[in-house]
Amino acid sequence: MMEYSWSDLHIGLSHGFDAAFSSQDASTFAALSGDTNPLHVDTDYALKAGFPGPVIFGMLTSSLYSRLVGVYLPGKFALLQGMDINFISPCYAGDLLHVAGEVVFLSDAFRRLEIKASIRKDDGPLVSKALIRVGLHGN
Amino acid sequence: MASILEELQSIFRDVLDQPDLILTRESNASNVDDWDSLAHINLVTSIEKHYKIKFALGELQELKNVGDMIDLIEAKLAAK
Repeated sequence: MMEYSWSDLHIGLSHGFDAAFSSQDASTFAALSGDTNPLHVDTDYALKAGFPGPVIFGMLTSSLYSRLVGVYLPGKFALLQGMDINFISPCYAGDLLHVAGEVVFLSDAFRRLEIKASIRKDDGPLVSKALIRVGLHGN
Repeated sequence: MASILEELQSIFRDVLDQPDLILTRESNASNVDDWDSLAHINLVTSIEKHYKIKFALGELQELKNVGDMIDLIEAKLAAK
């Protein structure tokens, strides 16, 4: 886990990592969130709806933005204060996802940073992009 | 050209999601709905980006209302 303090941060600082979700992860998310929409958990329904399989929940893939902030950028001292997310294209169980984020704005007054982030499939398509607002605690 | 008050009103309407908000020099966190501490951070950073200026925390702590903010913005723009 990274432990960036405010003085360590600068425009352009970036981090990334890879992740993937299974169909079991989607079922667990459905149980935890209560979102049982069949597009995400019912293969037959997803196929009939014109998708190659159940679509991984957008909010499940977006949980990777939480990991980006809480573990990498800035890491331990993060206070997630908000984010704007645009979902671009669906992803499916087993897809390898590349998560990337870069510091694009720093405000000294309240130690607020903004991160431009994206989740992209291994073969190229953009899954989502986000602008994430983060504060720091404790240092 | 829009006045700073008009520009701030547009920023406040967007950040606070209040499309009909009327801002005056006397507006402050006590008389504007939902202007809480996190909204304040969002407002200040939006203003910094809009005018391409930076505030120090001490400067912000001295502000009593939007009128004071306008005066501070004008001073910073004049000093650029």
